[in-house]
Amino acid sequence: MSHQNSHSEVAHHIDEVGTRLGFWLFLYTELFLFAALFLIYAVYRSTHIEDFKLAAESLNTTIGTLNTMILLTSSLTMVLSLESLKKSAVKAARWFLIATLALGTAFLIIKGFEWSAKFDHHIFLQTAKGIAAGHGSPLLTPGDEMLPVGQVLFFGLYFIMTGIHALHIIIGGIWMIIVYYWMSKGSINEENHGVLERCGLYWHLVDVIWIFLFPLYYLVA
Amino acid sequence: MNTHEQIQGSRLPFFVYFALIFLTIATVLLAGLDTGNTVSIIIAMSVASIKAALVLTYFMHLNHEPMIFKLFLGVAFLTLLAIFILTFSDYSFRVLS
Repeated sequence: MSHQNSHSEVAHHIDEVGTRLGFWLFLYTELFLFAALFLIYAVYRSTHIEDFKLAAESLNTTIGTLNTMILLTSSLTMVLSLESLKKSAVKAARWFLIATLALGTAFLIIKGFEWSAKFDHHIFLQTAKGIAAGHGSPLLTPGDEMLPVGQVLFFGLYFIMTGIHALHIIIGGIWMIIVYYWMSKGSINEENHGVLERCGLYWHLVDVIWIFLFPLYYLVA
Repeated sequence: MNTHEQIQGSRLPFFVYFALIFLTIATVLLAGLDTGNTVSIIIAMSVASIKAALVLTYFMHLNHEPMIFKLFLGVAFLTLLAIFILTFSDYSFRVLS
């Protein structure tokens, strides 16, 4: 009983709106991190438009679309998890969180297959400087075809941007595991759901970034 | 009134989700059309912006947040716009060797 009292007392001292506003500020710094990369993409696309189209052709649109659907679905399950928790349906909230985590993992696995296909074609991080000197990636063997500079820029940006995005998926996943643990312990509940809410905001932002990455890499061919 | 809102609240995420899936399919189909480079990128970015707006408004609950949250979004968006416009106004008039 006394434990419950102290708990609600603590809850009263948390400024949820202020915390959320601060978290949104953090999300904008994330947005600007990606915006810098989008800007680089936009400038190089404008100077190497044909190479960008050719390079984008080698990316599989079906896989890209599938991954987009997976991430959108994971955003829905995240929303449902928070809604369930707010209605005290903790069990449902936990299942929806597990579903979100599973979908995020599926996204990463598919992304991994995509990346490894590119590794097999030896187009991982070939450098323009290396190409000028007659050799691109250290993985290239003499028989391999050299890529034009514009395509090297495209794939360089592709690996960096999807790589940083994947890193965010991993961070979001770890966060979900922690939230799940706290939820099963009961420290995250219908009264104290701020942590899940912020985890959700982070996850949705990662989704928003993918919404822009998808057409720029898979639909420009 | 309250019950009505609750029902709406529980159905809304699904409507938003189906709209997002529909827009994803639409953007893939539209990209298959043979429009010019400029037109196709404008279409793709417009659809992406609508999708992002849906996620921000309904999944991230900006529609239920106080005004200051929307102000923050506006400031962030305008800053991004300024950076993109300034960079491109520089790049467009450069003589690249």
